[in-house]
Amino acid sequence: MDLSLTEAQEMIKNTAHSFLEQECSQERVRELDESETGFEPGLWRRMVEMGWVDMMIPEEYGGSGSSFTDLGVLYEEMGRVLLPSPHHSTAVLGVLTILEAGTAEQKGRLLPAIARGELIIAVALTEPNYGWEPESVQMRASRRDGHFVLDGIKLFIPDAHIADKILCVARTSDSDDPAEGITLFLVDKGSPGLSCRTLSGWMGTKLNEVKFESVEVAAENVLGSVDKGWAALAPVLEKAAVVLCAYMVGGGQGALDHSLEYTRTRVQFGSPIGTLQRVQDHMIDCVNGVDAARWTTYEALWKIDVGQPVSVAAAVAKTASSEGFHKACDSAHRAHGAIALVKEYGLYMYTKSARTLYYYLGDPTHHRRRLAQLLGM
Amino acid sequence: MDFELHYTGEQEAFREEVKEWLKVNLPEDMEPLVDPTNPTPDQYKWAREFRSKLGEKGWRAPTWPQEYGGGGLSMDKASVIDEELAKHPIPQIYDLGVSLCAPAIMVWGTEEQKQRWLQPIMRAEIAVFQLFSEPDAGSDLAAIKTRAVRDGDEYVLNGQKIWNGSKYPVDLLYTLVVTDPDAPRHNNMSAFMIDADTPGITKVPLNMIAHHKNEFYFDNVRVPAANRIGPENEGWRVAQSTLEVEHGGGGTLVSRNHMVHKLIEYCKNTIRDGQPLSKNEGIQQTLVDLYIKAEVGRLWGARNYWMRHTRQSSAYEGPQSSLHGKLFGVELAKTILDILGPYAMVNDPTWAPLIGEFEHHQRYSLAFPGGGTPEVQKVVMARRLGTGKPPQRAAATY
Repeated sequence: MDLSLTEAQEMIKNTAHSFLEQECSQERVRELDESETGFEPGLWRRMVEMGWVDMMIPEEYGGSGSSFTDLGVLYEEMGRVLLPSPHHSTAVLGVLTILEAGTAEQKGRLLPAIARGELIIAVALTEPNYGWEPESVQMRASRRDGHFVLDGIKLFIPDAHIADKILCVARTSDSDDPAEGITLFLVDKGSPGLSCRTLSGWMGTKLNEVKFESVEVAAENVLGSVDKGWAALAPVLEKAAVVLCAYMVGGGQGALDHSLEYTRTRVQFGSPIGTLQRVQDHMIDCVNGVDAARWTTYEALWKIDVGQPVSVAAAVAKTASSEGFHKACDSAHRAHGAIALVKEYGLYMYTKSARTLYYYLGDPTHHRRRLAQLLGM
Repeated sequence: MDFELHYTGEQEAFREEVKEWLKVNLPEDMEPLVDPTNPTPDQYKWAREFRSKLGEKGWRAPTWPQEYGGGGLSMDKASVIDEELAKHPIPQIYDLGVSLCAPAIMVWGTEEQKQRWLQPIMRAEIAVFQLFSEPDAGSDLAAIKTRAVRDGDEYVLNGQKIWNGSKYPVDLLYTLVVTDPDAPRHNNMSAFMIDADTPGITKVPLNMIAHHKNEFYFDNVRVPAANRIGPENEGWRVAQSTLEVEHGGGGTLVSRNHMVHKLIEYCKNTIRDGQPLSKNEGIQQTLVDLYIKAEVGRLWGARNYWMRHTRQSSAYEGPQSSLHGKLFGVELAKTILDILGPYAMVNDPTWAPLIGEFEHHQRYSLAFPGGGTPEVQKVVMARRLGTGKPPQRAAATY
């Protein structure tokens, strides 16, 4: 047993920390949040140069083949400053799905392009009937003249507005088992009939409506076997959720750091407010939320790395991280009072992110239900 | 990172040695116990002999130096011993010698004191109670009043302690008393090891719903100055070395959450209204929620175990884990009550589920003040986190 980071991981952490301190100030993140796309190509380019985008890509396809724990260490740092980027969609969900389902030709074509930062992918799974179970996938793709035609709406899709390709999950046949009959399509964003609209609202990530109106997709752009897409996607969703958890750990830590600092500097009743036990209670809830997320996440990352079954640990980690990040931010608001509502103060960015990631890749109810199944209840 | 202990061939060979030793020294037909910490007089007698044998091997404090009665073994071999012992329902003797008293002696004691007490503690020749709290000094431990007045080579003690020990005999009392009533709080007390049979000590049992505890009265009790641990008036700091461990800083790898797993199994195997309790969606969500909290508790315990055994300095982690365990126990009791109704409250041999373990949990989960109330854990956590002030580090322990 050794719960310390390796030397290489310490290096990833420190490098990321100083880079993000410099390049990703709170003001810059807020500016990006308020911009139309929330995306800055220059920052993405720097991330590519630093080797962050190819971490999940094996060396044979131009990547560094890092471990999940390595990636988790980076994600915690990214979450601490709420770095906005299509990294998770492209370099985690996209890459892992291509690795799991893609042909040798597809891998050889797509993965090096991702590694070079030339291809951004958005994964479109959820629909107006929102959910992360296979039964929620209802959008149809029908065969016509050797290709497929996609019709329907994908909703709440991060990064679709800046993506080059949409990885679309659609139903190609009906079966008693909802996990059967699902196929994965890699669709060019410029395909005729495909339109994308960014939703307005209070969200930590830009979310989109992606509309497919008789969009033709060539058979060669199917990822994996027709009708067998869910079997390839399910383990990817599980692992990608754990990586996302590490970002949420970082986010919670960011909210905690802000709040602790505030309890030392804000004076009421003649003393720093952190000397008041009512305020201390909120800070204790805050750190407990973050640490519940942290240790369930790192154990799940470790299980992926050593090849142990990870389903239970992943469901535990996503529940603990959704709840923990949310709790951390609510506690931060309780400790701060009205100043937390002022945009320039910046705390709300964490709160918004906690609420957005709370349900992304499955909310706690989804994962609790899954856990009940896994525990044989 | 690596969340698992790995055993080498040498350590697995050692496991065989431990198993073989246990086969020889444990009876074949050990009955499951509702509460291993509350033995019957017969079990107590047996357990005293058993733990002496364990002590002779140095296996009660496996990672401690052999010269002080420890086993001189690695952390991995120590956990092999823990794992093998945990497989048997072995009655426990209430004795805080190894767990809480020895670390303070190790940090603060003179070489002579280490030689005098550590061996007998580790070898289980003696049992130690901790006498810290007083009727008017509970969470506010620094408010103790029991007084020690220096008289030549001795101190003379007068006062009263509470919430101590068990119903079985004790040999040594690890005690905190005021040695300078004019000095400021935290700088006015000293720590002593007192022979329990010193004239003037009276032990009076309390009548409680959980645990057997006593009051101790001191009436002109004469204690040699050589029994003082640490410098005079430094007792508060000596006590911190103990409290650090008591507040969860020791960590654990042996799961404390077995009750959750028993409850889940019980709900899977108990039919109500034609289906297992665990098929009821409300019960299912509650059980899963408890499972997740138990996982968090397990991981925090493992983290603290790793931090202590790799001798890393900690901050809020000890009280965080302790707080979680205490509040989780209470929540679990409520859930058991919700799911089982009156079955949660009986230890009747005909009707009690799990030979009465759920009933036991209803009472014992309320014993959360032991080792500091949840509120005290929060106070310590807040100091270590640095709310309102720069953060404090944890006290030195062993």
